[in-house]
Amino acid sequence: MRNTYLQFLQLVTGIFIAVLLGIHMVIMHLDAILGFFGVDVTEATSWESMIERAGQGVWAGLYIALLAFVLYHALNGLRGIILELTPSATTERIVTWVIIAFGIIAFIGGTYVPLALLAGQELS
Amino acid sequence: MNEDETKQITFKVQRYNSEQDSAPYFQEFIVPASQGTTVLEGLIYIKENLDSTLAFRTSCRMGICGSCGMLINNYPHLACHTQIEEFHSDTLTVKSLPNLPIIKDLVPGLNPLFENHKSVKPYILRCDEEEMEKPTAEFAQTPQQLQTFLQFTYCIKCGICVAACPTAASDKLFLGPQALAQCYRYCADNRDEGEQERFPVVDTDHGIWHCHLAGACSEACPKGLDPALAIQLLKRRLVSQAIGLRKKQEPAPVVSPPTETKPKVPFPEFTVKQA
Repeated sequence: MRNTYLQFLQLVTGIFIAVLLGIHMVIMHLDAILGFFGVDVTEATSWESMIERAGQGVWAGLYIALLAFVLYHALNGLRGIILELTPSATTERIVTWVIIAFGIIAFIGGTYVPLALLAGQELS
Repeated sequence: MNEDETKQITFKVQRYNSEQDSAPYFQEFIVPASQGTTVLEGLIYIKENLDSTLAFRTSCRMGICGSCGMLINNYPHLACHTQIEEFHSDTLTVKSLPNLPIIKDLVPGLNPLFENHKSVKPYILRCDEEEMEKPTAEFAQTPQQLQTFLQFTYCIKCGICVAACPTAASDKLFLGPQALAQCYRYCADNRDEGEQERFPVVDTDHGIWHCHLAGACSEACPKGLDPALAIQLLKRRLVSQAIGLRKKQEPAPVVSPPTETKPKVPFPEFTVKQA
C-alpha cells in the first residue's frame, strides 16, 4: 500500500497547502482588505516585518509546515511525472533518492532562518 | 447520404509488415459506400476486391467480440460499430490501435492488454477453497449488489480504452484502464474476497495512481462503460483500506437450494389457427 499512502499524503498536503498558502497570501498581499476588518499588517512584505514574524513561534511553525507540505506535494508530483515518462526500475530508484535528497536539503535551507531566529540569533 | 446514393470514399489505410517494412506507411483505396456502410465493410471490400494482403481482425461484426478495434480518423472505434457517414468526409484514415504494438497492418498485438488483465486476477477469489473446488450451491447476491459492478462486466477487451488513454501513451508499464476497471469489478463483487491479492498489483508506480482521470477511456468505450469511474472507486477502496476506514465485510454466503419451486407459467396457446 506504499503508493496509496504516498498519494493519500499528496491529497492531504494539497488541502493543507490551500489553507496555509491562503493565510500567507492574505497576510502578504491583501492588507487593504484586512485593514477594512481592523487588522493592521502594515508593511507585511518589508524585511523587518518578515524577520519579526519568522521569530514568532506560531508564524515560524506555520511557515515550516507550509514549506514541508509544499516540498512533499511538489516533489512527489515531480517524481510521478518523471517515472511516467521514463519507466524503468533503475530510474525509479535513482529518481526517488535524488528527490528525497533534494527535499531534505531544501527543507534544511528553508527552515534555517526561522529556527535561527527562534534560537535567538541576530540576522541583519 | 441517401439510401440509394453511393459515394466513393478514400480509405487511407496504414500498412506495416514487420518482416519487410522499417516503419508503417499509408496506402489509399477507393471504396464505394452507401448509407449504413460500416468502416469494417469498407475494409472487407478492400480485402475482397482491391488488396487481399490487407490484414485486420474481425469476427462478430456486431460490436460483441471486440476484435475490430482500430484508429479511425484519429479516434479509436470498433470498425463494425462505426458507419462511414458518421464522419461527413470523403476521406477516412484507418490505423492500428495506438499504445499497443502492431503485428501487421491494422492488427494490434493485444498481449500487453491480456497480460495486464490477467495480472489483476479477474475471477472470484475466496478463502473457502473447498466450496470453490466443489461448489454445492450459488453464492447469494442481491440485484442491488450486482448493480455496483454490473456495467464493468460488459467489457469486451477490445483495447479501445487503452488506445485512448493518454497515460498509457506516455507510460508503457501502465496497467491501463481495462485491467484497473476489471480489478474494481471483482473487488466490488460481494462474492469475492480477493482484494488483498489484487491491491498489491494495482498499488505500484505504474498502477492505479498514475491514472490522471482524463476520462478518455470512458469517452471512447464502444460498450458505454465508464472505466474512469471504476478507477476512482477503486482508488477510494484503496485509500479507505490504507487508513483503516473500511469495515470488514464477510463474503456472500452459499445459498441453500430452494426447497420448493413455483410451477412455471404455461406457454400461451396459439392465437392463429393452424392449418
